[in-house]
Amino acid sequence: MPSIDDVTNTPDELSDDRADELLEEADLVQDMMGEMCPYPQVEAKKGLQKLESGDLLVQETDHVPCTENVPQAVGDDADAQVWRSGDATYRIYLRKR
Amino acid sequence: MVPTVLIAAVVGLALGVFLQKGRFCFVNAFRDFFAYEDSRVTKGVIAATLLTMVFWGIAYQFGYYQGFWTPQWGLTGLVGGFVFGIGMTYAGGCASGTLYRAGEGYLQFWLTLLFMGVGYAAFAVAFPTLENAYFEPLTFGEGVSLFTVTSIPAGLLALAIAGGGLLVYATLIGKSATTVPPEERSNAASVRLTVLLAPIAGLRQFWRGTFEYFRNLALAWRDPLASSKRPWDPRTAALGITGAAVLWFTQVSIIGVTGPEARWMGYLLSQAGVEAESYDYWGSVLFQGQGVDVTTDMVMIGFVIVGAFLAALWSGDFSVRVPKRRRLPNAVGGGLLMGAGSRLAPGCNIGNIYSGIAELSVHSFVAAVGIVAGVYVMTHWIYREVGCAL
Repeated sequence: MPSIDDVTNTPDELSDDRADELLEEADLVQDMMGEMCPYPQVEAKKGLQKLESGDLLVQETDHVPCTENVPQAVGDDADAQVWRSGDATYRIYLRKR
Repeated sequence: MVPTVLIAAVVGLALGVFLQKGRFCFVNAFRDFFAYEDSRVTKGVIAATLLTMVFWGIAYQFGYYQGFWTPQWGLTGLVGGFVFGIGMTYAGGCASGTLYRAGEGYLQFWLTLLFMGVGYAAFAVAFPTLENAYFEPLTFGEGVSLFTVTSIPAGLLALAIAGGGLLVYATLIGKSATTVPPEERSNAASVRLTVLLAPIAGLRQFWRGTFEYFRNLALAWRDPLASSKRPWDPRTAALGITGAAVLWFTQVSIIGVTGPEARWMGYLLSQAGVEAESYDYWGSVLFQGQGVDVTTDMVMIGFVIVGAFLAALWSGDFSVRVPKRRRLPNAVGGGLLMGAGSRLAPGCNIGNIYSGIAELSVHSFVAAVGIVAGVYVMTHWIYREVGCAL
C-alpha cells in the first residue's frame, strides 16, 4: 500500500549523528518512555514555558503518534525535528522560538 | 460462498493495518481539536464516516446488506456516551485505538482491555437492576435508521448529506482563505462578495487538495516498499477503513468493537467455568439465546489486533512498551469507564460515531453528542495547567 509522507505533517528527520550531537546540548530532556498521548503534549508545553528562546527541549518517547502530535501541540512555540531509531524509540527535538 | 470467518479475518486485518498506519484515533480527533484546534485527524474521521455512509446507503438501497444496528434511543446514549468519552480520553485510546495499540505492543492497553472486560462483567451483573432503574425511564423510542423511514432513496440521501457536509467544509476553509483584514475592505458589498465566494474558493481548495493527494498516492507507488513503511495520511486510512466497512456491511453487519468485546468477556468467563449464559445480559441480549460461543464479529476484532501487530512490525513501530506506574490509573479507570459507558450507551465510538452515523441511526446521533461532550470535559481537565484552545 502507498504512503504519502509528504502530506502528513511530520517534522524533519534528524540523522543519527546529528541527533546525538543535539541531545548533548539539550537544555531539558524529558523521559516520556511508556507515556501515552496527551501527557507528552502537556509536558512539552509545560517544559517550553520554563525555557528561554533558543533553548532546546528533547523528549524521548516510544509512542509513535507523539512524533506528530507533540510538534502539532506546541505549534508556533517551537521548531520541531524528530529522530527515529528504527526500532520503535523516537526523540522529539523542540527548539523554543 | 466465501466462509464468513475468512471475511472476518480479511476485514479485521485490514482495519488493524489501516488504523495503525493512519494512526486513526478518535480520542486524538476530538481531544486535539479541543486542545489546540488541530483538525487533521478530525477531518479523517469525518471523511471516513461520510464515505462509509454513502456506500452503505447505496448498498442498502439495492438490498446488498445484512442488517442495521439500531438500539432504542433516549438519554441513555447521552449518559453512557459521556461516561465513555471521559473514559477514552483518560485512557488515551478509544475502543479501536485500544485494540490497535494493544497490537503495537503497549502493555498499558492490554490492561485497559482487561479493565474494559471488568466493566462489561460488572454491567452484566447489574443489568437486571439497571433495566428498571436506568434504561426504562431514560428510553424514549424504538431505535431507527433514517435510511429506513424516508421515501428518499438511501443512496441519494447519503450523497445529499455528504454533499452538504462538503459544502459546509468548503465554506469554512474558503472563508479562512478569502478573509480580508477589516481595514482593507472597501465597502459592505465586498464583504457580501467574500461570503458568496467562500464555498467556491473552498471547493477549489478541496479539489486541489484531493488532486494533490492522489498525485502523491501515485508517486508513493513508485517505491511501494519504502512507502509502506512510512506513516500514512489519515485520508488513506479513511479510504481503507471504508473499503473494509463496505465488505463487512454487505456480508455480515455494521462495524462494532465493544459489543464483540463484551461477548469475548462472556465467552472467556464461561471457559473459566462461570455460567455466563445464566446472566440475562450475556444469555439473551448479547448472544441472543444462541449460546455463549465465538461469533464472527468476535473473530473480526481479534484480527484487528493481529493486523495492527503486523503493520507495526513492518514499520518498525512494534515494541513491548512498559507503562510508567503513574499511568496505571489511566488504564484501570479509563478501561472501567469505557467498558461500563459503552454498555450504558450502548455502543462505543466505532458503533456510534463511525458506524452509527454512517447508518443514520437516531440512537447514535445522541450517543455521539454524549461521547464528544465527554472528551471535551476530560480534555479541559487534562490540559488544565496549559490551557485549551476551545
